[in-house]
Amino acid sequence: MSNLLELHNISKSFGALTALRNLSFHIGEGEVVGLLGDNGAGKSTTVNLISGIHKPTDGYLSVDGTRTLFTCRSDSADAGIETIYQHTALVDSLSITRNIFMGRELTDRFGFLRQAEMRQIAMEVLQNAVHISGIDSPDTLVGNLSGGQKQAVAIARAVYFKKRILLLDEPTSALSVRETEALLNQVLKLKAENVSSVLVTHNIYHAYQVCDRFVIMSHGTKVFDVAKADTTINQLTEYVVLN
Amino acid sequence: MTPILADNAVHRSRTQRQSILKQIMAMPAGAIFLVFMTLQIVCIAGALLYPNEFRYLSPQNLTILMKAIPVLGCLALGAGVLMIAGEFDLSIGSVYTFTAVLMASLVGAGLSAFLAAPLGIVAGLLIGLLNGQITIRFGLPSFIVTLGGLLFWRGAVLLYNGAVQVRFDPEPAFTSLFSGTLFGINAAFIWIVLFVVGFHYLLHRHRFGNHVFATGGNRGAAEAIGINTNLVKLIAFAVAGGMAAMAGILATARVGSVQPGQGAGLELQAIAACVIGGLSLRGGRGSIIGIFLGVLLIHTITDVLLLLRAPGFYLDMFIATLIVLAAIFNHLIERRGVA
Repeated sequence: MSNLLELHNISKSFGALTALRNLSFHIGEGEVVGLLGDNGAGKSTTVNLISGIHKPTDGYLSVDGTRTLFTCRSDSADAGIETIYQHTALVDSLSITRNIFMGRELTDRFGFLRQAEMRQIAMEVLQNAVHISGIDSPDTLVGNLSGGQKQAVAIARAVYFKKRILLLDEPTSALSVRETEALLNQVLKLKAENVSSVLVTHNIYHAYQVCDRFVIMSHGTKVFDVAKADTTINQLTEYVVLN
Repeated sequence: MTPILADNAVHRSRTQRQSILKQIMAMPAGAIFLVFMTLQIVCIAGALLYPNEFRYLSPQNLTILMKAIPVLGCLALGAGVLMIAGEFDLSIGSVYTFTAVLMASLVGAGLSAFLAAPLGIVAGLLIGLLNGQITIRFGLPSFIVTLGGLLFWRGAVLLYNGAVQVRFDPEPAFTSLFSGTLFGINAAFIWIVLFVVGFHYLLHRHRFGNHVFATGGNRGAAEAIGINTNLVKLIAFAVAGGMAAMAGILATARVGSVQPGQGAGLELQAIAACVIGGLSLRGGRGSIIGIFLGVLLIHTITDVLLLLRAPGFYLDMFIATLIVLAAIFNHLIERRGVA
């Protein structure tokens, strides 16, 4: 069986700066992978690469064993990859519903919005998928939400458009303890539905709670790739800190 | 789960305690609506109490109002869509004059007005696209690019036709289409109402409008989600140019001639109407109803001051005060939204 997503010897340079060097790893079906590393290890570049914002300078990606090239974000979305960004990609002046459906609005043939339907779905997603305190209407403007609530909306968006791989870039950095717990449970719930997740974080403890495997990066390349059963939190910490 | 419910309960009771007044204020364009309605009530009451001194409700006055509103209305709708997308167009006053001169001179040369008018609109669209192209390609502030446009097209009017007025003699059908009356209502006013309804649906009920708000509200987020923000802005620039040309058609059909200097300052009035109507100067916020109410408010105040025979400078001072107050108010709302 081929892996869902594979990175083959990927390098990425921005002018003289080499952000990634010869990076290879894979994500299997229904697998939760923790992509760990200190600041500047190349995690965000990897996220941008997988979501199609950057193109590799060298090497390639493959989906289901087929070599592919993502030239823009919708390419990765078409391949079933949904990205949740570190700095949540939301518009403060629009409602929760409009943010969830931004760029992927449900419309009739003429492009007019099917508002009632979108509102209904947004309400269901907010109530059932992510339990977040204080949001009582999908018509609330995102600008009026707290940082954790905003993150929740971003996650709700990903959950609704649930794809085969969820790419979570520092998802817990703005969340309260309770909200973090809800998010990690969400990841496990999606895994039960055979949706893979990549948790990009430097919070090893959060990653250790839910991940099946860990990929540790340092200076733009992979330094450690290990299944949860074969490692401990201490060993992971050592790899992140020492490399 | 208990604390979550508690949070909800607190939130909800807080909402319930809000008065109707506050609820209207919280709606988009709610505040401007209140100001507008208050002014209307005062004016109508004044007109009923002193029908001879204050002729606000006289048919002549209402006709003047209906004729005056559509021109600024078209300009403000175009400028407003562009402002929500996060850009400015200062050139619309000059484009309005240029396209009107172009249309009138084509008709003077024997072309049918039904062909010349669409050509004028195409010219407006193209100028808008050019503004947008320069702004986006070179990553410049649109304020500067269109300031250049303002001067360039103002000069182009003089180059093309000299500093003389251009007569506009279209076929009668054209005149009645754009400045006739239907059921006692001025045709231009019907046009602007149609535009307001059309723009409302485009901006608040259509996918394109959602992309305009997203582009102006958070460009990075819009791009990350896959919206082509450059294309959205380019279309908004074209809309601003096209609506400027439309304003030119309505004004020219009404007056029957074009003055080479007639558009000066209109771009600022259009932006003023947008600001009064609740649009953010940083983009991403506002409503079509708000823009239209802003236009109505500017013209109502102008009209009232004229009826009261106030000297012209009061008008400028009054509008100026209104703009600044509206900007302060919008800023407070924005800050509350971000916090």
